Amino acid sequence: MIYLLAVPGPIEDVEEVRVLEWHGEPGRSFHPGELVVELETHKALVEVRAAQPGVLRRIICAAGDWQAVGKPLALLSDNPGEDLVNPDGMLPLLPVSFEIS
Amino acid sequence: MLTESVSATVKLFFREAIARAVSESMRRDDRIILLGQDAGRFGGAYKEFSGLYGEFGPDRVRDTPVAEAAMVGLGVGAAAAGLRPLVSITYMDFLMLGLDPLVNYAAKARFKTGGQITTPIVVKTTAGARGQGVAHSQCIEAWMMAVPGLKVVAPSTPADACGLLKSALTDSGPVLFVDHKRLFSTAGEVPLAESFVPIGEALVRRTGTHVTITAHSYMTRIALTAAEHLAEEGVSCEIIDLRSLAPMDVETIAQSAGRTGALLTLEEGQLTCGIGAEIAFRIRELVGPIRMARVGALRAPVSSNPVLEAACVPSADRVIGAIRRLLNN
Repeated sequence: MIYLLAVPGPIEDVEEVRVLEWHGEPGRSFHPGELVVELETHKALVEVRAAQPGVLRRIICAAGDWQAVGKPLALLSDNPGEDLVNPDGMLPLLPVSFEIS
Repeated sequence: MLTESVSATVKLFFREAIARAVSESMRRDDRIILLGQDAGRFGGAYKEFSGLYGEFGPDRVRDTPVAEAAMVGLGVGAAAAGLRPLVSITYMDFLMLGLDPLVNYAAKARFKTGGQITTPIVVKTTAGARGQGVAHSQCIEAWMMAVPGLKVVAPSTPADACGLLKSALTDSGPVLFVDHKRLFSTAGEVPLAESFVPIGEALVRRTGTHVTITAHSYMTRIALTAAEHLAEEGVSCEIIDLRSLAPMDVETIAQSAGRTGALLTLEEGQLTCGIGAEIAFRIRELVGPIRMARVGALRAPVSSNPVLEAACVPSADRVIGAIRRLLNN
């Protein structure tokens, strides 16, 4: 199955974040608890960790890009070879945990 | 034709726009020093001075004790002696402690000495209500506008924060730079090229035909939200972001209000002797009798209770209601 990784929230006072760093290129597998991406808010860092296994497939917002809370950052899939042709429908959100520091 | 060099911008958080203005200014002029509580290694209460201590070191970026009268006094004295201090007073409420050197000395030095002494100091401070109660929420810009010799600027966007702070740091001063707690979570496009926003020029943020709204700082965003809702019911609002409160660009307001025939002034501070009262009288002199209304805080301190805070300071709903009443009269 294909999953959407979105900017997690709500984060108090935050409407938009900036992508600081991806921890891996497309093709990397993530295990639950592993850090996928770090996001910057106006005053904090947000560490976003996978809450289920998945393969990073396509980065939608590269480092330095801005995105609103709830909007897509990347596509992941259960298996590396799954077809990404129709990611425009209602994709399920990848479960994540996030920590604000 | 738009060219890359004209239109190129970078999106920055509000705090980054301030840090950039200070950094570019300090590189250009080694007389500029920064004084403030937590302004050094910590990088500012809102991280708006992040990176400056590392770049310019402890000689030019100094932490101060919690002593606002001493901070402003030191800055004013240093300005009179030839430096260009930027003094950061975290909460505008505590600027009250520093008013004696700012009002009685800095704002008067030029007049008192026939122009022989100038005090090119910039005092940066943060106004506005955001859950911190009676003595950490006030907007006292109107008090400051009443002081001859003191310039007061209050941006609403990262681009204007950067451009106005840069202008303030080249001004003969003194300049009070007022930002707002609720602006620090915002971001916006800032010109890539070094740019200045002149002190004393308002900006039309939204064009409209039925009513002119004046606002500054965070209230500009409230006005824009109100205008979007009113547009859905066919009311066209023109929004003037004052940007500079003293001197004030009365011409731009008069030009707009003369055309729309209706003026609503919006401020987060108190209405009595407020910015709206000042604007209304000056527009009355220039434009003649038009419909006018003003929106500001209720006549009470801003509570630390979030429900009462929201009730006290202006909201988009209050602006919408006031404009409906103004236009229906």
